[in-house]
Amino acid sequence: MNRVIVRRASQMAAFPLIGLATSAFSQDRPDLTGMYSDPQGLEDFFCSFWCSDAGLERLNELLDDPANDERPIMDVYAEAATFQRDEYMHPNLTEAGAATLGLDPADDPGFLYCEPWGFAREIFAPHQLSLEQHDDRVEMLYGEWTIRRTIWLDGREPAADLAPSSMGFSLGHYEGDTLVVETTHIGANLAPWDGGFFTTNVFDGRHSDSLRAVERYTRSADGQRLILDVTLEDPWALREPIAMKKVWHWAPEQEIAPYEDCERPTEFSRGVNQP
Amino acid sequence: MMPVREIVIVATLLGVGTAMAHHSFSPVYDGNRTVTVAGVVTEFRFVNPHAQMALDVTEDSGRVTQWSVEFDGRLNLTNHGWNEDTIKVGERLTVTGNPTHTGSQHMFFNRLERSDGSTLVRGGDRIESIEDERRRRREERRRQTDGSL
Repeated sequence: MNRVIVRRASQMAAFPLIGLATSAFSQDRPDLTGMYSDPQGLEDFFCSFWCSDAGLERLNELLDDPANDERPIMDVYAEAATFQRDEYMHPNLTEAGAATLGLDPADDPGFLYCEPWGFAREIFAPHQLSLEQHDDRVEMLYGEWTIRRTIWLDGREPAADLAPSSMGFSLGHYEGDTLVVETTHIGANLAPWDGGFFTTNVFDGRHSDSLRAVERYTRSADGQRLILDVTLEDPWALREPIAMKKVWHWAPEQEIAPYEDCERPTEFSRGVNQP
Repeated sequence: MMPVREIVIVATLLGVGTAMAHHSFSPVYDGNRTVTVAGVVTEFRFVNPHAQMALDVTEDSGRVTQWSVEFDGRLNLTNHGWNEDTIKVGERLTVTGNPTHTGSQHMFFNRLERSDGSTLVRGGDRIESIEDERRRRREERRRQTDGSL
């Protein structure tokens, strides 16, 4: 299915004379509305949680090397993910950020207390993402933890006393085919400072409440892929902003089911972190 | 003797490894070992975050013990075409999974076989499709290499 540019006739009629030609209300916008889910392809699967240019480049080098032809694909993914962790993510951490590495999976509050993930993990969560475009906002619903998120398109200012929260405060606008989202007021939490889906820890480390994010959502020309390019900036944890990617595939047949049966673990061991 | 076989294998041979489990698999389960039990399904809950199954396993002595099996998330399973009716109460199944570190009667699902020999495998379809794409890419590369010689 090809991407469709939608011009909302009702919006154009409602604001014909009041000079909103450059506002979000009268812009053409890409049709991003719908249900997306886990990616399927060889490269996209590598970006199931998140990936980076460094990791994708390494993955392609490995896939193009005949010496790896008989290796299990999971081994190849793991090597590329380890590369992006060791050569891109970790060297970019400040001393304070690096000091937060080494999360014991048994201490993950999502596991221990069924505590939903915060922004920096949730935007890379696997499975469904439902996206719904309105005139003044975009509503996102993630399958993981069924977390809802509103991205305001009306340029509103956050309240002066707005406290940091799990998913922060998001403002968006369209740039051509892309939904651009800037998020601030994100509470300090666990971070994606690891190698992604195929490393021992999918997520590791912490970010501060200075974290800021710019997300760019673009749908592929055939409509089958939703691509997220995100830049994370946190002077406390990162020396430089880092660029990460994620891919979903169009999945209109899927639904998001209630997420209400999380149970706190009754038996577990600390210090076990197998690959 | 309990109808249980323990097989030590290398985790990477599992194909889809523990990385699939983003809800802290490793504190509970041993990804380097598998255990197999045969029994009758008494409950299957197709829920988030992880589907659950209870299985009555009859030992040689006649004593019945209950095993519980944890699956990938409902979201994962849906991607593979599973639904509430994929496993039915009363079905006899042979189930293989990763045991707990403590050796309790609980496992994380890898594979099951029904009485008619049909099987369900964790993450199977997706990995097959990825391997197919990899195979095509490899063949294309070999054709190009041969053509340039």
